Amino acid sequence: MTASGDSRASRERARGIALAAIAGVGLAIWAFPVIWGLLTSFKTERDVLAYPPKFIFEPTLANYREVLFGASSILPNLGSSLVVSVGATLLTMLFAVPAAYALARLRYPARRASGFYVLATQMLPPVGLIIPYYLALQKVGGLDTYTGLIVIDLTFSLPFAIWLMVSYFEDVPYEMEEAALLDRAGRVRALWHVILPQVRGGIAVTTIFVFLNAWNEFLFAVVLGGNRVRTVTVAMFNFISVEQTQWARLAAGAMLAMAPVILIGLFAQRHIVKGLTVGAVKGGGRR
Amino acid sequence: MAVAERARRGAPTLEQRERRFAFALLAPALLLLVVTTTAPLVYLAWTSLQRIDLGMPWLSGFAGLGNFAKMGGDPRFWNSLLLTTVYTGSTVILQVVIGLALALLVLQIPKGQGVLRVAAILPIVLAPVVVGLFWRTLVLAPDVGLVDTVTRSLGLGSHNWLGDPQLALISVIAIHTWQWTPFAFLVILATLATLPPDVYEAARLDRAKAWQRFVHITLPLIRPAVVMVVILRTMTALSAFAAIFAATGGGPGSATEILNLYAYRTSFSELNLGYGASLAVVLLGMTLAISYAMFRLRRRRA
Repeated sequence: MTASGDSRASRERARGIALAAIAGVGLAIWAFPVIWGLLTSFKTERDVLAYPPKFIFEPTLANYREVLFGASSILPNLGSSLVVSVGATLLTMLFAVPAAYALARLRYPARRASGFYVLATQMLPPVGLIIPYYLALQKVGGLDTYTGLIVIDLTFSLPFAIWLMVSYFEDVPYEMEEAALLDRAGRVRALWHVILPQVRGGIAVTTIFVFLNAWNEFLFAVVLGGNRVRTVTVAMFNFISVEQTQWARLAAGAMLAMAPVILIGLFAQRHIVKGLTVGAVKGGGRR
Repeated sequence: MAVAERARRGAPTLEQRERRFAFALLAPALLLLVVTTTAPLVYLAWTSLQRIDLGMPWLSGFAGLGNFAKMGGDPRFWNSLLLTTVYTGSTVILQVVIGLALALLVLQIPKGQGVLRVAAILPIVLAPVVVGLFWRTLVLAPDVGLVDTVTRSLGLGSHNWLGDPQLALISVIAIHTWQWTPFAFLVILATLATLPPDVYEAARLDRAKAWQRFVHITLPLIRPAVVMVVILRTMTALSAFAAIFAATGGGPGSATEILNLYAYRTSFSELNLGYGASLAVVLLGMTLAISYAMFRLRRRRA
């Protein structure tokens, strides 16, 4: 080790190892709870409570069988989450994409003001929205319905999607649009055939984010949901109060509930990082 | 030729047509936002002036500013305000400092950045409520949780991480920091990767020390990204709910009851929706004021 002080090369190597070690710790801290949850989901409840914790054990599928086909199956909850998330995502994209194009590219009065309005709606704390929604939906019998939950999900997904799409539309070269317009194509056709294909990547990223947020949403779902519409995040929460110590079962349920978002996260990793960056560096701060 | 002529002759019409087109594209989304966000907020403001107690419905009625006056003498409100400040301040600082430090380190690792990026994605995509449940059971449970296993084997003994008021606050801050530091890390890492390498080269030849290089060259270049991270993370921390709710429920007592949770518990556990609404109005005002101040700061510095 004393020689390392002398030669530059070995000092560099030592530095590299130290850096890798720090990065490794970071990696372990972020990934480990998820890996530990995965391991736990294959344990018996006895093994879960063992001290010291067991890394090697006889795996069982009993927990998964129970959460899928047992008395408190989460299959209906997965279905509820799917309906709410897909519904909210489709509606959001349908409204957000045209609006974002107008905000990014067209000249019209009060453009700044409308951009600021969208931004401001993104800042609203959810608890401030859930109280009036609860009172209003209670009056019209809208509690425990898919419509109510999808509509309130729009309150955070729509402003977010508009802003993210604006930053993608801004990256499309102007020349392209002008060429299409000079070609006597109408505005609508230019948008549909020339601009939209350019922002396909942005649409994909935005769709992913909106879906993730809707799938993971909890506050709205726990207040506005009920016996009929109970999303998987609410089902997970109820798990802990109903089945206090059945952590292996909880872990299995959580793994199933989070499987879609984890898979999206792993496969769309690059796009997610790009979306986060675009949103963070450009989004919101422009106007 | 004909196109150019028409464009010259009909310039105002073209502008008009653009305006009409913009309106057609924008109006549906704006209308939807007004209906789904602004109208409920007006209703929230109206509710905050009412006494609506679903537990005692016969007492309901107009209360004027009574709910707001009540806050002055409500120790639980002041406690929640203090906790909100501590929770938001500490989590945002921790996220940015750890995320920035880790990004600077990782940038110097030639290989394996990809693996780290994948690991960093995991906490971000998980539902906060599931994160809260995971920590409550597998990570922080006394005796069998991961943290207790470590402290016990180090001879530091077993602790009730979520049951002791002070430890519970530290725990929920740790949970939030764990989940959202990857966001700061990924954004700063991506920003650092776009910086031109020659800036560093020149500084290296100048024998500028690493710290000076960071303060005078790197930091000014990445400041817009860092400021944006601070703004977004502050907004998330102010309205944090599910992870705390799942881990401690705001307890023990009101030890982790930030304003957001207090407004929720008042409205939906104690069914006092009028007072809950007024608490939500205060949180709303705070959020808008802070974001306004931060955006002003950002614009002036930029």
